[in-house]
Amino acid sequence: MATYPQPPKWAETLIDRFAPEHLAEEIKGDLYEMFLSDVKCFNDSSARRRHSWRVIGFLAKSFFWKRPTYQNHNMTGSYFRMAKRSLLANKGTTTINVLGLVIGIASALAIISIIRFELSFDTFHTNHKNIYRMVRVSGADLSEFRTGIPYAVPPALKGISSIGKMTKLEYLRGANVDVLSTDGRFERQFVEEDGVVTVEPEFFDVIDFADRPIKWISGDPETSLREPGSLVVTRTVAKKYFGDESPLGRTLRFQKAFDFKITGVVEDFPPNTDFPFRLLMSYSSMPLLFKDRMSDWVSANDGHSVYVVLHDGVDAKDVEAQIAKIHAANVGKDLSEYRHYFLQPLREVHFDPNFGTFSRRTITHETIFALQLIVLCLLAVGCINYVNLSTAHSTLRSKEIGMRKIMGSSQKNVMAQFLAETLIIVLIAAFAALGLVAVFMPSLVSMLGLQVRVNFFDPFLWITLVSIITIVTLCAGLYPALLISRFNPLSAIKNQFSTGRIAGVSLRKTLVVIQFTATQVLAVATFIVVAQMEFFRNVDMGFDRNARVVTIRLLNNEQSSLSAFESELRRLPFVENVAKSFTLPSGVERNRNSRNIGKPDANDVQDYQNYEYSAVDENFLDLYGIRLIAGRNLTSADSSKNILVNETLMKNLGYKNAQEIVGAELKMGGGDGVVHVVGVINDYYGNSLKERVDNIALDANAGRYRQVSVRLGLAADQNMTDVLTKLEQTWKSIYPEHAFQFRFLDDNIAMFYEQELKYSRLFQVFSTIFVLIGCLGLYGLITFIANRKGKEVAVRKTLGASARNIIIMFSREYIALIAVSFALAVPIAWYGVNEWLMNFENHIDVQWWLFAAPGVIVLVIALAVVCMKSFSAALANPVDKLRNE
Amino acid sequence: MSERINLGELEELILLMVALIGGDAYGVSITGELEEQAGRVITISAAHAALHRLEEKGFVTSKMGGASPDRGGRRKRLFQITAYGRQTLDELRQARNTIWVQISNI
Repeated sequence: MATYPQPPKWAETLIDRFAPEHLAEEIKGDLYEMFLSDVKCFNDSSARRRHSWRVIGFLAKSFFWKRPTYQNHNMTGSYFRMAKRSLLANKGTTTINVLGLVIGIASALAIISIIRFELSFDTFHTNHKNIYRMVRVSGADLSEFRTGIPYAVPPALKGISSIGKMTKLEYLRGANVDVLSTDGRFERQFVEEDGVVTVEPEFFDVIDFADRPIKWISGDPETSLREPGSLVVTRTVAKKYFGDESPLGRTLRFQKAFDFKITGVVEDFPPNTDFPFRLLMSYSSMPLLFKDRMSDWVSANDGHSVYVVLHDGVDAKDVEAQIAKIHAANVGKDLSEYRHYFLQPLREVHFDPNFGTFSRRTITHETIFALQLIVLCLLAVGCINYVNLSTAHSTLRSKEIGMRKIMGSSQKNVMAQFLAETLIIVLIAAFAALGLVAVFMPSLVSMLGLQVRVNFFDPFLWITLVSIITIVTLCAGLYPALLISRFNPLSAIKNQFSTGRIAGVSLRKTLVVIQFTATQVLAVATFIVVAQMEFFRNVDMGFDRNARVVTIRLLNNEQSSLSAFESELRRLPFVENVAKSFTLPSGVERNRNSRNIGKPDANDVQDYQNYEYSAVDENFLDLYGIRLIAGRNLTSADSSKNILVNETLMKNLGYKNAQEIVGAELKMGGGDGVVHVVGVINDYYGNSLKERVDNIALDANAGRYRQVSVRLGLAADQNMTDVLTKLEQTWKSIYPEHAFQFRFLDDNIAMFYEQELKYSRLFQVFSTIFVLIGCLGLYGLITFIANRKGKEVAVRKTLGASARNIIIMFSREYIALIAVSFALAVPIAWYGVNEWLMNFENHIDVQWWLFAAPGVIVLVIALAVVCMKSFSAALANPVDKLRNE
Repeated sequence: MSERINLGELEELILLMVALIGGDAYGVSITGELEEQAGRVITISAAHAALHRLEEKGFVTSKMGGASPDRGGRRKRLFQITAYGRQTLDELRQARNTIWVQISNI
């Protein structure tokens, strides 16, 4: 025996396993014969190798995989006819299946559109992979992320050879714009909240919108943006300012001071760009706006950004090193060690919340991943419903299957028929979902503040839909089809069957558990997100956040008109208090200015504290309910040399208690002299509660007032519109040419949490959807089981069981399943929720009831569904069930 | 040649080999003969595939037989050319001959 060389075992097994039965023998014979002759000619091992290759050769041949067909009719038409009949025969199940899938597919389509929109940001520029934004990271722990680059830096980088192109721009965001008539008189006024920018002609070489070209309606990038004082507007702006008149050659006056002549009109910028520009001034006008700052190496406006295109194959790290060298050569050692310039790839700009974007929108990769996960879960839950219902139903259809097989159907035929049924259901669901998306997408999009539109001519949408249909059909249909087609005809007709079991637990139960685990994770997440939002909305921020305060933005702070305005305001009956300040205590619309301050003996950068300084008048603390802990309030007599500090700054400077610091002298960074501390105020949150309390100091420098806060004491019947009209009239009487720009403090603070608010709404929507789909499936299952067990119930009732016994009999199993899924959901949710809460400096404690409550709610809803159905089964008259056999 | 004959180049060669070998035409003997007669080396699986196609098209028939110890006791599938196969080969040859005669006349 041992003398006979043997070919490799696995090769033989492969042939045995896969070859058509009637061919296996001859193939193996031929292979063996050749193997033996190889053994004679070569050695054993090369004979084995040649044998293996021959076997693989067979695997690659199509005849090897063909099976004899006993039936050559084309049954496709019949599959669909049969499928239609059986779907119509079980209308209830069909409806539930379709509904579950419709919701799943519709949500999936909507989220996929959103994800695609977010991923498409600024991907349409030539070389977008080589474009970088210069950013600045400072602090000993590299914790301050900014995009502003001092004006003197970019010209100095011209010598770096790896930089192909460079363009700088300053995003000014908002502006007050006056339209002047052709002879130079004031005509109309507009307030732009955003979109105002100064750009170089080269901007359109770097950010060139190559795949989504922006048409120049008149003018061109080369000449229109060359001269100082020239301005290019988008079509929408031109239309808004001038209607059908030609805007070319007209003059706009910005901030009552700077005149710009319109030299070009461009098409609107696309929605998926982080360059949302509408009024583009020439960068050569910058010296007009910022005068002597153009040679500044140190301070920077946050809007002044620099974009570079690196040559192919250049490592950004090398360029950063060269920039660092140039920077170090031009500023002091302190600053060059404290501040670092980096190059951020343009493709990361939209996904990095640290630096932000001009469009104010970013989305992290984690969020996108979470959204993708939700898409998968939604589709999975829909599929699970289908699998559950159709495997349950297969038991009813076992007789049909048995009969089909006896009449000559092969396993393949039966599978084809069941897959056809699935396909029909998925197709119906997919098209219904498309309709649903068309109807609800606009409201979902506006809820999330996006500009996604569903375009039905977009091939991507159809490709997505077709792949969803294919995947769902296979996922949902394959298992039931396999299971059902495997029935042994004899036992099928005798009604002996079994459904699949995984490790001894029925597949159906496993799927129900998975489904409800997903649902409960989402439900818990929703509870936590909503609780955190409530916390944000109600927590004490250190000042009176519930006060009805209107804040009005000043365009100049010329003393006489300002005090005239203040006294006019005080004369209004509903005005409780008025305060002037540089900025607001909190809110999104808040200017920030920071400097360094230290103890008198401070020398090094490390000894100084970076703090935010603001100017206020004597009414400010009172109006906002900020408490004075020690010392005295500022008065109008105080100069900018007297300051109030908050507790955090006091502690960070190393003072133990408030008495100690009152009267102390502090040294300003950069040799700006010495200030006196006259008082200490309590900490308040200038930022959102997501962050810590900053170091804050206040002085009484009247030259820096930019905001007027008006606290209103409203009678119950007072109409807000009237109040605003009165305020505006007062404003116009003092500042006839200035636009009245106001905000409510509470709106302003609420805007901090816009992003979180969107999440919380999204979570609420999706957890509702999950619960809905889950309950649909449960309803289907229970309906089916109640029908199946009809006879058992009838017998039990005749033997004396009460309706309550019957209901308990039905619901016991599901309570257990939901309890198991709850146990699984808690740790998953715990982990996810903690990760999310860690994003916020101030967050709620995760309490047990935040887990228990959603769990109980899901359980109650599920139980309600189960009871509803089992109740009717329990009440049915036993005679009806027992009679028909 | 009234209608198109659906016979590939490799198929034609293999069909010729089946005709040539006569009684003992099967996978291994056909590949061996093909190498010997025409210098063509093909894999055994390609030979099987071609033989199956020839059988589907009706040029050959097959039956099982001839187990031997050097095949591990397995039988082989013996192929035999059909009348239709022989006729097709004839037609092909005649068509080519007619053309060749004309070429050499020039």
